[in-house]
Amino acid sequence: MTGTGTLLAFNLRRDRVALPLWIGGAGLLFLVQSTQSQNLYGTPEELAALRATLGGNTAVIAMSGPVELLDSIGGEIVFEIFAFAAIVVALMNMFLVGRHTRGDEETGRAELIRSARVGRRSPVYAALALAALADLAVGAGVFAVAAGTGLPVGGSLLVAAALAGVGLVFAALTAVAAQVFEHGRGVYGAVGLGIGAAYMLRAAGDAGNPALSWASPIGWGQRTFPYGQERWWPVLLLLGTALALTGIALLALDRRDFGAGLVRSRPGRPRASWALGSPAGLAWRLHRGAVIGWVIGVGMLGAAYGSLGDSIEQYIAENPEVAEFLPGGAADVVDSYLALTVTMGALLAAAFGVAAALRARAEETAGRAEPLLATAVSRTAWLGSHLGVALLGSALVLIAAGFGEGLAYGLTVGEPGQAIRMTGVALAYLPAVWAVVAVAALGLGWWARAAAVAGWVALGYCVVVELFADSFNLPEWAQQASPFVHAPEAPLESVTAAPLIALGVVAAALVAAGLAGFRRRDVGY
Amino acid sequence: MTAIAISGLTKTFGRTTALDGLDLTVQKGEVHGFLGPNGSGKTTTIRILLGLLRADAGQVRLLDGDPWADAVALHRRLAYVPGDVILWPGITGGDVIDLLGRLRGGLDRRRRDELLERFDLDPSKKARAYSKGNRQKVALVAALASDAELLLLDEPTSGLDPLMESEFQRCVRQVKQEGRTVLLSSHILAEVEALCDRVSIIRLGRTVESGTLSELRHLTRTSISVETSRPVTGLDGLPGVHDAVVEDHHARFDVDTQGLEPVMRQLATLGVRSITSTPPTLEEMFLRHYGEES
Ligand SMILES: Nc1ncnc2c1ncn2[C@@H]1O[C@H](COP(=O)(O)OP(=O)(O)OP(=O)(O)O)[C@@H](O)[C@H]1O
Ligand SMILES: [Mg+2]
Repeated sequence: MTGTGTLLAFNLRRDRVALPLWIGGAGLLFLVQSTQSQNLYGTPEELAALRATLGGNTAVIAMSGPVELLDSIGGEIVFEIFAFAAIVVALMNMFLVGRHTRGDEETGRAELIRSARVGRRSPVYAALALAALADLAVGAGVFAVAAGTGLPVGGSLLVAAALAGVGLVFAALTAVAAQVFEHGRGVYGAVGLGIGAAYMLRAAGDAGNPALSWASPIGWGQRTFPYGQERWWPVLLLLGTALALTGIALLALDRRDFGAGLVRSRPGRPRASWALGSPAGLAWRLHRGAVIGWVIGVGMLGAAYGSLGDSIEQYIAENPEVAEFLPGGAADVVDSYLALTVTMGALLAAAFGVAAALRARAEETAGRAEPLLATAVSRTAWLGSHLGVALLGSALVLIAAGFGEGLAYGLTVGEPGQAIRMTGVALAYLPAVWAVVAVAALGLGWWARAAAVAGWVALGYCVVVELFADSFNLPEWAQQASPFVHAPEAPLESVTAAPLIALGVVAAALVAAGLAGFRRRDVGY
Repeated sequence: MTAIAISGLTKTFGRTTALDGLDLTVQKGEVHGFLGPNGSGKTTTIRILLGLLRADAGQVRLLDGDPWADAVALHRRLAYVPGDVILWPGITGGDVIDLLGRLRGGLDRRRRDELLERFDLDPSKKARAYSKGNRQKVALVAALASDAELLLLDEPTSGLDPLMESEFQRCVRQVKQEGRTVLLSSHILAEVEALCDRVSIIRLGRTVESGTLSELRHLTRTSISVETSRPVTGLDGLPGVHDAVVEDHHARFDVDTQGLEPVMRQLATLGVRSITSTPPTLEEMFLRHYGEES
């Protein structure tokens, strides 16, 4: 424990910019959702009407949470926002703990720290304490927002505790992953997959077999049913899991060498393969693991969504009067569900693309661009190789999303051709995905230090517009700023070439501008 | 026949002035030592030569080209060893050597293997598994395996053991024999003395001295200890005499090279019984240059 306090203070200082953003972001989500929902469904009649329409809508349930939540206006707010807030909080915990454990160890910073009077476990304790403080702050913020917007105090306390509890579980999970993997990338990849799986399991559980929801910490958090049954014991389950995972992390820590993972790295080839002879070859080597991981992960997510498409058809079959209200009948319901879920896949493909593009900046600041640019590699070729992988890789991830969704949907309804159809459908979103990646590329060229902010803000903006445009009551012009708004909502809408070409031209122009900027600026600065 | 010609080079990073009117001339075929205290701007200069940073003002010519505009063409003709070698996780030393060689436009297989042997480097380890010195060797082998006409070496031997250091010196001599040019930034004075034809010393981003080592020696003081038959007089008034301690028939003092002749004439009139003169050691020389107020 020696030195934990000092390290915690130091961690707080290092994260003094990021922490308020995360905490404020989580609070803001609740603030907007709470005011908006209370406007729209403020009376018991409005709420009952909502319950009737949402009750069987598998798509919305899969996106949001269990219908049991819809018994009160507070519960409706939790239904709409909890899963997404939980993902934000989980990501916050992942980055906080990953950065102060494996991140520091990988760069060698932790070596300096550990050579001082600092216990072996202290960096882990300090990182987890930082995460716990952040989760407490998130909880306090959410409680203040919920109670402050007129929701009952008891339920507000419960939803805050549940959200903080979910955060703690992912903090502890990151601590475990930090012992297992030698590189920060491996840690973030594994935990990111864990977060995705937690979201998907609860989606499958809420829409189908509830047992699956109990395999997911996000599911536990939702099943506290704040403002309804108000169960506190799932919060204990969350805390217990966090403690158990922390114990596992500490056990693993005591059994491994400093700087090593539990998986030892083996010697590799003494001579480079023929493929490693160009900037593109190197970029592929560096990104390969991430591309494969994202393709598999997003492909499985798509399959999970696709397998639920069938139950929507059944719902329409059982409630033909619902279909009558829709211009295109039952087919439209399924298609709008497919469009919505493929859009989710496209947003994830864009997330991969942004992350991959920003890898170029990480390489540069680590000092690994310098030896390459000191050879006969032009700046355009170097940055272009990373951007190329980002663009092509995001296309692969998108194809995986469409193919996975089409395959699973096709199998459940007995139309194998859906796999091909949905792959084509997914590709209709490619220009929009590329436009987002291109914003990161532009940042890399002109505002290197703010490139990460530019890329992630662009993506975050699209996510908000796509998922929360109605809850946030965004004006039309603000929505127009998202490239996804301009992409045809395939397969619901028919695909026309004009918007795709326009988006493609915008993306190409941004990438070209980014490359031009990179040719004129200092490298490594 | 200049390989590098820099004059009046200026570079600022925000409020820090890294280079403040630096001059540097390196002739083709010479091994040029590039010296200066920490933070004096050596790495910044080399990065500008590589076209990684853009000069704020001043002229820079590298192999008769513009390092910023002609970067790619020039890089085919040079090889670089960074002071801080950072390798890619999951990629072996052999991978890195081959990659950098190919990116420079091909590498000599035989020479690569011979260098691996000479530097006793295992190419099948991955980045983290190398010790600091071995990481440095990866970059050294990659650079030395090329037949580049100019080598830019930024503290290339920091972290090498004495055996490897002497192997490195052998390699540089070989490079020089082949008529190639080397710019060697280093804090290891013995290495500089052993290898360099000429050196440039910079301080606070400015060149304070440039020339051969013996020229530089000329610019500094010689320590003299003398015993005379008559009591020592008349030294204090002579130009270029410093820190004189006179005790009767004995005197110890430092004298500038230009001041030697009048001093000798004066001593001769006093009847010299014994005299020892010590040229400045390199260390003394550099300590004076590094530490002096500008
Ligand atoms: N990217 C940067 N941003 C801000 N300041 C910088 C940057 N790079 C270098 N400097 C500053 O420029 C000056 C020169 O640095 P440089 O690295 O060139 O020194 P050096 O002579 O190589 O030192 P050393 O012997 O320690 O390697 C220093 O004051 C340094 O702090
Ligand atoms: Mg330096």
